[in-house]
Amino acid sequence: MMAFFRSPFLIFSYIVFSGTAVRITAAPEKISFNRDIRPIMSDTCFHCHGFDAKTREAGMRLDLRDEAVKPTKTEALPIVPGKPDDSEIISRIFDDSDPMPPVDAHKPLTAAQKELFRRWVAEGAVYEPHWAYASLVPPPVPTQEPSNVNPIDVFIRARLAEKKIKASPEAEKSRLLRRVALDLTGLPPTPEEMATFLADRSPDAYEKQVERLLASPRHGERMAVWWLDIARFTDTVGFHGDQNQRIFPYRDYVIQAFNANKRFDQFTIEQLAGDLLPNPTIEQRVATGYNRLNMMTREGGAQPKEYLAKYGAERVRSVAAAWFGSTFGCAECHDHKFDPIKTRDFYELQSFFADVKQYGVYGDYDYSRNPDLKGFNNDFPFPPEIEVESPYLVARHTRAQDSITAHVTKMREHAQAAAPAVRMATWLDETRAYLGRVPNGWEPLRATKAELRKGDKVITERPVTVETDGTVCGGQPLANREFYRITFQPDGGRITALRLDVMLEPPAGPVEWKWPPSNVMLIPSVQCAEGEVRKLDVVFADATEKAPRFVNGAELHGVTAGWRLPEPTKRETVTGVWLLAEPLKLAAGESLVVIVSGETLPKFRMSTSRLGARDPLEVASAATLAALTAPQRTPLQENLLADTWMMSTADDAFLFTRYHQLVTKLNDTYRGKAWSLITEATQPIPVRVLPRGNWQDESGPLVSPATPSFLPNRLESTPEKRLTRLDLARWIVSPENPITARAVTNRLWSLYFGNALSAVVDDLGSQGELPSHPELLDWLASELRGSGWDMRHMIRLMVTSATYRQSSSLRPELRDIDPANRLLASQNPRRLEAEFVRDNALAISGLLDLRDIGGPSSKPYQPPGYYVALQFPERDYLASDADAQWRRGVYSHWQRTFLHPMLANFDAPSRDECAAARNVSNTPQQALTLLNDPSFVEAARAFAGRILSAGARDEAARIELAFRFALSRLPLAVERDSLTTFLAAQRDIYRADPPSAQKLLRIGLSPPTEGDLVETAAWTQLARVLLNTQEVITRY
Amino acid sequence: MSPFDPTAHALSVNRRTFLTQSAYGLGGIAYALLQSKLSASSAAPGIPPAGWNGALREAHLPVRAKRVIFLCMAGGPSQLETFDWKPQLKALDGQPFPPSFTAGQQLAQLQNMVLKARGPIASFSKRGQAGIEISDLFPHIGRVADDLCVVRSMQTEQINHDTAHAFMNTGSIIKGRPSMGSWLLYGLGAETQDLPGFIVLTSQGKTGQQPISARQWSSGVLPSRFQGIQFQARGDAVHYVGNPEGVCQSTQRQVIEEVRRMNGLLAAGTHDPEIATRIAQYELAFKMQTSVPDLTDFKNEPQTMLDLYGVKEPGDGSYASNCLLARRLAERGVRMIQLYHRAWDHHDNLEGGMKSGAQDVDQATAALITDLKQRGMLEDTLILWGGEFGRTPMGQGTGRDHHILGFSVFMAGGGVKAGTVYGATDELGYRAVENPVNVHDLHATMLALMGVDHRRLSTKFQGLDVRLTGIAGEVVKGLMA
Repeated sequence: MMAFFRSPFLIFSYIVFSGTAVRITAAPEKISFNRDIRPIMSDTCFHCHGFDAKTREAGMRLDLRDEAVKPTKTEALPIVPGKPDDSEIISRIFDDSDPMPPVDAHKPLTAAQKELFRRWVAEGAVYEPHWAYASLVPPPVPTQEPSNVNPIDVFIRARLAEKKIKASPEAEKSRLLRRVALDLTGLPPTPEEMATFLADRSPDAYEKQVERLLASPRHGERMAVWWLDIARFTDTVGFHGDQNQRIFPYRDYVIQAFNANKRFDQFTIEQLAGDLLPNPTIEQRVATGYNRLNMMTREGGAQPKEYLAKYGAERVRSVAAAWFGSTFGCAECHDHKFDPIKTRDFYELQSFFADVKQYGVYGDYDYSRNPDLKGFNNDFPFPPEIEVESPYLVARHTRAQDSITAHVTKMREHAQAAAPAVRMATWLDETRAYLGRVPNGWEPLRATKAELRKGDKVITERPVTVETDGTVCGGQPLANREFYRITFQPDGGRITALRLDVMLEPPAGPVEWKWPPSNVMLIPSVQCAEGEVRKLDVVFADATEKAPRFVNGAELHGVTAGWRLPEPTKRETVTGVWLLAEPLKLAAGESLVVIVSGETLPKFRMSTSRLGARDPLEVASAATLAALTAPQRTPLQENLLADTWMMSTADDAFLFTRYHQLVTKLNDTYRGKAWSLITEATQPIPVRVLPRGNWQDESGPLVSPATPSFLPNRLESTPEKRLTRLDLARWIVSPENPITARAVTNRLWSLYFGNALSAVVDDLGSQGELPSHPELLDWLASELRGSGWDMRHMIRLMVTSATYRQSSSLRPELRDIDPANRLLASQNPRRLEAEFVRDNALAISGLLDLRDIGGPSSKPYQPPGYYVALQFPERDYLASDADAQWRRGVYSHWQRTFLHPMLANFDAPSRDECAAARNVSNTPQQALTLLNDPSFVEAARAFAGRILSAGARDEAARIELAFRFALSRLPLAVERDSLTTFLAAQRDIYRADPPSAQKLLRIGLSPPTEGDLVETAAWTQLARVLLNTQEVITRY
Repeated sequence: MSPFDPTAHALSVNRRTFLTQSAYGLGGIAYALLQSKLSASSAAPGIPPAGWNGALREAHLPVRAKRVIFLCMAGGPSQLETFDWKPQLKALDGQPFPPSFTAGQQLAQLQNMVLKARGPIASFSKRGQAGIEISDLFPHIGRVADDLCVVRSMQTEQINHDTAHAFMNTGSIIKGRPSMGSWLLYGLGAETQDLPGFIVLTSQGKTGQQPISARQWSSGVLPSRFQGIQFQARGDAVHYVGNPEGVCQSTQRQVIEEVRRMNGLLAAGTHDPEIATRIAQYELAFKMQTSVPDLTDFKNEPQTMLDLYGVKEPGDGSYASNCLLARRLAERGVRMIQLYHRAWDHHDNLEGGMKSGAQDVDQATAALITDLKQRGMLEDTLILWGGEFGRTPMGQGTGRDHHILGFSVFMAGGGVKAGTVYGATDELGYRAVENPVNVHDLHATMLALMGVDHRRLSTKFQGLDVRLTGIAGEVVKGLMA
């Protein structure tokens, strides 16, 4: 057994070892510094003999040739070009008694590595500038056969030809379309799309598909998944309470940017510095949300300055990773050991962002007062923000309004029907009589009893006074959990609305009234003669003036759940109106009991009305009173009267209740508006080099913005002109900066070929990897730059190449030559990213909701109790309803501390910082997710329903159809036979146990799958099998 | 070893291996491949210690402990009411706190406040033959004093909960650093194949709760199979481990069999080695579907055992129940078991909070030690009890603020020097003055007890060798037997 384990193990060793570069053992090539020597030096020498002067030993420096050929402190010559035997480094690496690197470094050189060094010195010890930082000059395309060959293929084939390897044949058509559809849109082709493509015999049939897919709005959604990892886009702040932040419009900006093929230079400028552009558009300001996507805290006890330092450092890491593919992180504390990145570079880059308005701690705590955030609690947002229109919400707002209009029409028709019209006439007479008594529609209440309470206890020592006009005065602010309990005995008649007038003028006296005041809560109830109390439901409440209230970042509508009084600047009286869920008629002996709580309620009085209205603040409005009393009514007044009647009497309970449901829906569209974090420029905070990254150490020098010292065409601030984020952004996309085009192209490549050309996408530095095809990468990077940063052009180039279109079947004959397929003699299969694993299942099942682009994040089903360890505020996860349950993964709620288990299981990053590459793991958790996550089970039963309702003639045809949906191909005979047997077995099981079938077919929010119970359950099981196969979650 | 290299990993995902065998029946083997894949090394593989199947091919140091149980007292319990008796602080109760101690030091919520000494609210007694002073709030732990190695000189760098937790678990506050459990799982592998090798259990007290984050058991830049799996108190213990409604275990088995057949046919056509791994993962998933319910079924635990731990309702998500579950996990070969008890952030009502927190954890913690000992498992199980930081000797109203310059933890079992106290704080319990132990030292020592040189357990990330201890950490020999 041991031997059996051992041999694959050796294969792995080989992969890991040769994975860094394609190295073929044929003819001895000339040693290349970048390819052969720098990686070894970087790993084993530079730590003590490299960039960081502080850790340099023996005065020996090996990263620069000029230094390496100079005598050291001990007069040794590290390198004598052409003379390995005279070179100190060669004698030391071969010196077994006192070797370099030293034994305790645990980085021994292999014999082959030592030999490389020896040969390199013998060949003259030629250094090369690090490839990623060198100027970007488009390399010539090697000439080859027909001139219309895609240059990508020319470069790839040239390398293959050197090794005498033939490229793989083109993948079969069905697989090709599935591949490119998944790569460009994250969704499989529909059977119809596939049929069209298969039938298209024209030479550019494939190219036509590429254009169709690139033009699809699904393309932007797919690309956004890629960029949002890099931008670390999330719905929550990440630190401590991990509260919600409001920034989905930024995500929608990214989707739109890709759909519109926004040029990458513009995309960069807008995100880093859109606010600094002349007359920035709303879109450009939304884009600057990028700068605000660092993690934030509201933890009590956190020090603003410490966290500003953390935010600043993160921003450097993320910007450098996103646009330079570089690792600046270590330079926070010391000069980079392996790359020429200095500590100063780190803080200079940070200081570009010193003007980004942000708070270290998003609270106003006793220990660190923050007047900007006065009154903020754990539910508040994270300013600065901007309110923008969201097309998604606008569409829903319009829809909701339309349904209300239709509903109101129904209500008015109801009022005109014979019997209701009679009731309405009676009501009108009564109401007129009522208005004769109470001309303004509001009947003042005078308490028969007013108490101050804490729980069940009456606080008798602080009596509550009731003035003759009904004004209640408690004399001092209420302590925690204290409230007023006020009893009224109205004169009878109906009550539809309650009104609370609060006089904000604090009474004179020694008592201090604290502002901002706490929430006013009003709880009405009815007490019967025997003393029993029943609570009255309130359908909606609103106030003339109110301070905003939030629940975990979401603004609350009206004041139903609490009324936060405005700050009393004008000492005015403010009014709140509560609409009862059903009109109240007090019986004999019953009284109205109202509980009013709120820390700062200097004086208030209450009244009731028997008039209702569609909106609380319209109760007994002037227009309503006019309509009620007018001798002749206009059509408008007729309508108003009909509405008032329905709202006052709930004459038809369904119409009344339904109206309020529709209003709730309307409110949730926020008038089509949404808030989004943005960058607001402010006075830059001082940035200094922090020794060892210690924010409390102020001994380091102050720095000003400057671009990295190791990259060409450096920009530095001068005393006259401080560089800005806009300068940085423009420099990043300037033709002189070589690294951004390389970093972006390299990452983009991995989306279509599985691996990047330089496989370490997050480190193009010397610890990274020399590209497998350096000339190709430079050619592509030049093309990106030269095309005006046209991303779609680059994508098109890649996916139309023959290299891309090759079969992805493994080439066993290449196992020794190119085990990691770096030469690309075939395509690489690629497991779908987490979001697309789910999208794909939903698409196959027909559940996927593609109605709209953008909008608030949606919440797929999630196991209960997952957020139990979250606090400040405590929260529960409410899965989206049918309106948003089956949206694409790009819209899924992204909780940094507890990422949705499905996303986490399939390697989606928590996006705490820039995530340039995702792991691709293969775990039991993935199997459990696909097998048992209700999203996938529901997809399976919907898929079963889809297959069974398609009218296929027999079972074989149904299996065929299932394959077309799920795999874009026909089943093999052996597959069909196996599934037929499986299906029969499942049928037997569910025939014997229909209740189980019923349970299975009810999983999820969508309506139970229709059709024969046993048959549908059996097919659901078959659908589960298909959705669990490797082929469904992989693009081959 | 050569460190795990995510790039090589990514490359190998595409070409994990050229399997010539049919994919059928390869489940266990493919999994073993997956395990051994990481150990790729130019050196001839050594003989790994029994039960090791991770990236490390050989132990660097004698293996004293095989598994870790980290009893994480989230919120930061006060050292002054647990393990660090300060009579002089008691004498100074209510007096101004000497500024000579605090000048220039970082404070949390006490910033800009008048600092007053707050005497310990609990009495202490010498416990065990070793005579270790332990707060009388913890009588049960006192009874196992001779098994403890109390460290009174802990120091950390982070003064807020979130970052302090990150630091205690990953040795860094930079996101994406693997947690201690992930490191162990990566380096050593797990002894169990039926359960996750790194399991997290959470419970909460009545007061002093603070949020925690899945980041604390994240595998960070290591592959996600090394991440901690959190057991849930509600619903399935492990996410998605339960069959869908209407699907029984045997039907589920049929589905998995059929998936395997389909995947096998696919493998024959594409030679994609990833398929063999996938098949193996489905086998593992199915095993978990059986082993997890078996694990969380306490019915074969006798009443005496429940009483020992003070478990009222097995599986109720209490700390006591979690301790009992921890023992069951340890028995089954789980490498790292981490319990969080969220109860210790006592900015106010220190007295009530400490009493209730002690009530939650005292008996069960002691029971776990006793139970492991009677099963002969304490000697190779390393237990760590402690918070992400301690509390100020200065009062904050009726409580204490966060404190990082001196606090206490204890270790027990696997190779630690039992019945000892290591290090000391000054007379007011403000600063560790004798043998300070920082978090990196603690990590280095824990790894050493597991047989690992902390400098030689690393992974490549962004071109750097990332380690649990960063570029710091000294093994504290004084903690080791």
